[in-house]
Amino acid sequence: MEEVNVFFEPIRALLVQVAAFLPRLAVAVAIVAGGWLLAKAVRFTVVRALRAINFDVLTRRAGIDDFLHEGGVESRMSDWLGWLAKWMVIVAALAIAFNGLGLAYVTALTGKLLAFLPRVALALVLLAVGTYFARVGGAATSAFLRHTGPADAELLGRLVRYAIFVFVVLIAIDVLEVGGGIVRLTFLILLAGLVLALALAFGLGGQRWAAALLARWWPDADGRSRDAADD
Amino acid sequence: MKPVAAMNPDALTAEQLRRAAPAPLRPPLWFKDVVIYEVHVRAFFDSNGDGIGDFPGLTSKLDYIRDLGVDAIWVLPFYPSPGRDDGYDIADYHDVHPPYGSLQDFRHFVREAHRRGLRVITELVVNHTSDQHAWFQAARRAPRGSKKRDYYVWSDDPQRYAGTRIIFTDTESSNWSYDAVAGAYYWHRFFSHQPDLNYDNPHVLKAVVRAMRYWLDMGVDGLRLDAIPYLCEREGTNNENLPETHAVIRQIRRVLDEHYGDRMLLAEANQWPEDVRDYFADGDECHMAFHFPLMPRIYMAIAQEERHPIVEIMEQTPDIPPACQWAIFLRNHDELTLEMVTSRERDYMYRMYAAEPRARINLGIRRRLAPLLDNDLAKIQLVNGLLLSMPGSPIIYYGDEIGMGDNVFLGDRNGVRTPMQWSPDRNAGFSRADPQRLYFPPIMDPVYGYEAVNVEAQARDPSSLLNWMRRMLAVRRTTQAFGRGSLRFLHPGNRKILAYVREYEGDAILCVANMARSAHPVELDLAAYKGMVPVEMLGRTPFPPIGDLPYLLTLAGHGFYWFRLCTDAAPPEWHEARDTPEDLPVLVLFDGWHTFFRDRVVPWRIGMAERVRSHLEKTALPRFLARQRWFAGKGRHIEAAALKHCVELASAGASALCTLLEIAPGEESACYFVPLCLAWEDEEERLRLLQPAAVARVRQQANVGVLADAFADPSFCLALLEHMGRASNIEAPGGCLRFSRTPAFGELDPDALRALDFHARSLSSNSTAQLGDRYFLKGFRRLRKGVNPELEIGRFLTTHTDYAHAVPIAGALELKLGDGGEYTLAVLYRYVANQGDAWDYTLDYLGRFLEAQRETAQAPAGDVHGVYLTRVQTLGLRTGQLHLALARQTGDPAFDPEPITAEDLSAWHARIVAEAAASLARLRASSSSLPAAVQAAAEPVLAREAELMARLAAALPPGAHGVKSRYHGDFHLAQVLIANDDFVITDFEGEPGRSLEERRAKHSPLRDVAGMLRSFHYAGASALLNAAAQRADDAARLAPLIDDWEHAARRAFLAAYASVTAEPDRPDPEAAATMALVALFEIEKACYELRYELDNRPSWALIPLRGILRWIDAPPAAGAHEEATWKK
Repeated sequence: MEEVNVFFEPIRALLVQVAAFLPRLAVAVAIVAGGWLLAKAVRFTVVRALRAINFDVLTRRAGIDDFLHEGGVESRMSDWLGWLAKWMVIVAALAIAFNGLGLAYVTALTGKLLAFLPRVALALVLLAVGTYFARVGGAATSAFLRHTGPADAELLGRLVRYAIFVFVVLIAIDVLEVGGGIVRLTFLILLAGLVLALALAFGLGGQRWAAALLARWWPDADGRSRDAADD
Repeated sequence: MKPVAAMNPDALTAEQLRRAAPAPLRPPLWFKDVVIYEVHVRAFFDSNGDGIGDFPGLTSKLDYIRDLGVDAIWVLPFYPSPGRDDGYDIADYHDVHPPYGSLQDFRHFVREAHRRGLRVITELVVNHTSDQHAWFQAARRAPRGSKKRDYYVWSDDPQRYAGTRIIFTDTESSNWSYDAVAGAYYWHRFFSHQPDLNYDNPHVLKAVVRAMRYWLDMGVDGLRLDAIPYLCEREGTNNENLPETHAVIRQIRRVLDEHYGDRMLLAEANQWPEDVRDYFADGDECHMAFHFPLMPRIYMAIAQEERHPIVEIMEQTPDIPPACQWAIFLRNHDELTLEMVTSRERDYMYRMYAAEPRARINLGIRRRLAPLLDNDLAKIQLVNGLLLSMPGSPIIYYGDEIGMGDNVFLGDRNGVRTPMQWSPDRNAGFSRADPQRLYFPPIMDPVYGYEAVNVEAQARDPSSLLNWMRRMLAVRRTTQAFGRGSLRFLHPGNRKILAYVREYEGDAILCVANMARSAHPVELDLAAYKGMVPVEMLGRTPFPPIGDLPYLLTLAGHGFYWFRLCTDAAPPEWHEARDTPEDLPVLVLFDGWHTFFRDRVVPWRIGMAERVRSHLEKTALPRFLARQRWFAGKGRHIEAAALKHCVELASAGASALCTLLEIAPGEESACYFVPLCLAWEDEEERLRLLQPAAVARVRQQANVGVLADAFADPSFCLALLEHMGRASNIEAPGGCLRFSRTPAFGELDPDALRALDFHARSLSSNSTAQLGDRYFLKGFRRLRKGVNPELEIGRFLTTHTDYAHAVPIAGALELKLGDGGEYTLAVLYRYVANQGDAWDYTLDYLGRFLEAQRETAQAPAGDVHGVYLTRVQTLGLRTGQLHLALARQTGDPAFDPEPITAEDLSAWHARIVAEAAASLARLRASSSSLPAAVQAAAEPVLAREAELMARLAAALPPGAHGVKSRYHGDFHLAQVLIANDDFVITDFEGEPGRSLEERRAKHSPLRDVAGMLRSFHYAGASALLNAAAQRADDAARLAPLIDDWEHAARRAFLAAYASVTAEPDRPDPEAAATMALVALFEIEKACYELRYELDNRPSWALIPLRGILRWIDAPPAAGAHEEATWKK
């Protein structure tokens, strides 16, 4: 009899454990199911809210929607943000469920995911707003320069636009905390390269002009320019 | 009360006669509005063949004087007199000079004049008498110091009053003459045979007042006080304008006011204006006084070709009391006096106007008006134009209205007192006496002689001076501003132009005259009248409205204009307004068209977009709509004009926003199509074009411009054409702009399109744009859901028939909504070169016809309307052919004809009865607010409402014949263009007051026939009203002529129509039923017109009211004599 008991004890213990786990599982499943429903509602709300505040207009003007469209993606940025909001709720529900089930590692993993998703949303918003302003800034620069005279107004406008755009992309990447060091390094290299290019262009291409400018700014004591003294 | 005509005039006292005079004779201050005709009994017409004019003769010519258009007759002295000073030497104040008739004749004359609405002014010569007067004969024999002796001024010393000037320097050397019987000198300011009365003797004034009351009791309306400044004498003065003289006048006035309230005293005081002003005093001396200095200065201004003399004297003229008036004149029975000019000016006047020394007399010139002005018609008309428009009541000297000449070889001033020239007959038609018996010979020279210049000839010549004067006097009567208005001179840079404005109680008349013999331009500063439309008064022609710039006019040599400055007159149809309303709101557009849509702007601009949209809908658009001719709710407060549907239309030139506006409060079923465009300051030409059509000013950052109605924008219209040429579809949220074309569009050549001239116009219910000689774009403004019948019928006629007399449709623009609804926004026609529409043609024709008939007493010839009726016949043919084309079987259920059933007839009849009842109800409701003339016309219609309804109830045609089909729907003369002496029918939109369903429903085409018949009535009545506006007296005489014309036009139209549409074997009952149906549709149309006019132009309601009244009187008449036309 005792032998029989010994034989069934693990089964009984297993059953006891299963019996103790099942309610928690049921609760977890319920949480996930509720979270999923809530996520759908949140997605709907977010998309509607973004459209109500004309977020689509912003992304369209920024060229993001067209960019996505050309890439074969039919959804708009507001749909993406809605999707992100939805998944944030689902991941949160999963984290709670996993925690309820006592799955600490999985809980920690979903927690990390949960912390990352808002940054993605924020990065997207930053990208949208920044790209819009990059366009506005570029257009304003071109328009201003067209009226004030210098040639290549369009080129300079584009330069401004891309400069702002690069800056915004770097911020977005920074927000995502993905490869921050490389990004900073890349930015510094780009900036140094630009300054060097300008210095070279200024020093070589505009040497005489720069000399004349310096002579006008700091003339010699006797009033002659440096160029004249050199001669 | 018995009517005046039923009284026995001879049994009445003079006062009874006066009270019985027509009401218009008795308004207060009547003398401020009159034109006076100065006439000498002796010279006007001789009734008894004794060679001297008389009162019966003058009475027989009163119709002539009335028809001339004057209001009063000033009769020169007609009292017993030795006749040594043209009657001003009176020998008896209480009788009529026997050769002129009797007191009974005079009474009859006054009575007849009053019966014609003419007032009578006579002379009160109270400064002096004839030396043959009983008073003088008694005085010279009376003892010194006696009452009778002191009736005159006596002296033993001829040096007394030494400082007094001699007036008649040519004949008198002293103001004193010795009388041997009296043994003393007597005082006379004029001829020695005219001793002055002594007003220091109170008995003299009493005797004079007795004489005055004698004539006033006989019905005389006014008295001219002759030589009034010289009544009293005082040593040490110049014996003119003395205070004692004014005291005498005040006593005379007091008697007048106490016993004769509305009579008038006219002072003859040949003095400077500031001295004459005293004769008005505080309104308690004379009512009127002559303005002597003005007259020579008018002649001087003409001679010098310079406005200065007139402006100078009028600016020196003091203001007079409100109840007083100046009397102004060009010529009179005396010489053209030059007393009131400087010596240098007098010399100049003599040189210019009296080179012949014989023409000079005293300090003046004894010539008539025409010889003074070298018989130059333009000059004569100019000075008359000035006379009639200057402040004061003008006086016309008899004979000057026909340009009579003078005879300087007759003594004294008798050269301007010759017999009136009535005809080329013996003695100028003045007298049947032997020529040698005439008091003076008539003028007989080849230029001014009675064979060349006479009333009979000029009455028959529409362009004669006489008829011109009649027209001018008729025009002058249309306003009180000339008689009572203020005077303000304008000071244009061109000094040869005299320009002034007369204003009275909101009525402003601009007078512009060219003093020079050659054409001159002038720029007038009329800023104070900005926005008003100058309407030339003689031809009632509107000129372009007054804008910001100086108003430019060009005047022919000695030309002049009178303009009424109107706020309610429409500018000329061809005029393009170029001024921008000043109070345009400013809209800040931060994002182009997107600014107006909260869902198209970036998030942080949503609030601003909502504010701009609200500003557009609640301020800018309502103000813009209120200014538009085509907006039906004019005068109604608009709370908002909401953008209901918007589609952006981008083109190479510029983009436009096609909007449908929903008006609040307004009709739910209707909305307005207002395409909007933007023009910026760097597009100068486009901005200039669009400014008149501006809705708002706009600013986008530093760029400013206007938001405007795109129908004024060539780029927009060309874009429409290009889209039509490509038959494009433009999709937009909630709708789609669908462009279509027909074969009439032709080849699309965008470059050629852009080279076309563009001319936009805003009409009463839509807007149009003409593009060169190729296309005509018509944009509908007030839209109802559904296909517009104009597009539907036009497309049908263009594509399914070969009917060549409708303007072909080339394309269309429609808006298709997501819910299946649709609107017709615009149609494009092929342009048809034309000579205007038949309405203008008819009005011009009738205007010319009435003008010609007005000047002649002869009945018009039987075929007087021959050419016009030929055109009407053509119109009848084209109408019949149109109806046949529309009734063609094509398989299209919207067009295939259907037989008229008895049910149709009953339904139509019931609706017509209901509409008639509704029209009369509306008339009754609004009758109290209608103009007086319309109220008068409405009264008999309302009084006979039951009769009208009974006749209508019985007017259901006996049987149903013919077919119902699509038809024009609003057929009248203005819908028909004249092209190559034929007609082209246009505008198939139907009556705008009806729903689209009604307009698209099939009906009897006889409705179009009835519409055209009503249009003939409208044209005739309009022409008659125009004629009456110029001369009301002629309306009664001309009305039968218009009736004859209308009947002839109806017959011609119906006969031609029937010749195309009637079946050859049509039985008589069908013809009767057809005509009965036409008559029924005529009253339906008249009721529609009545409702339309009451809503839009109440003063025009007169015409449909007359039509309704005529229908009540004789509805079958139209059928009775026109029925035969239906039997082919």
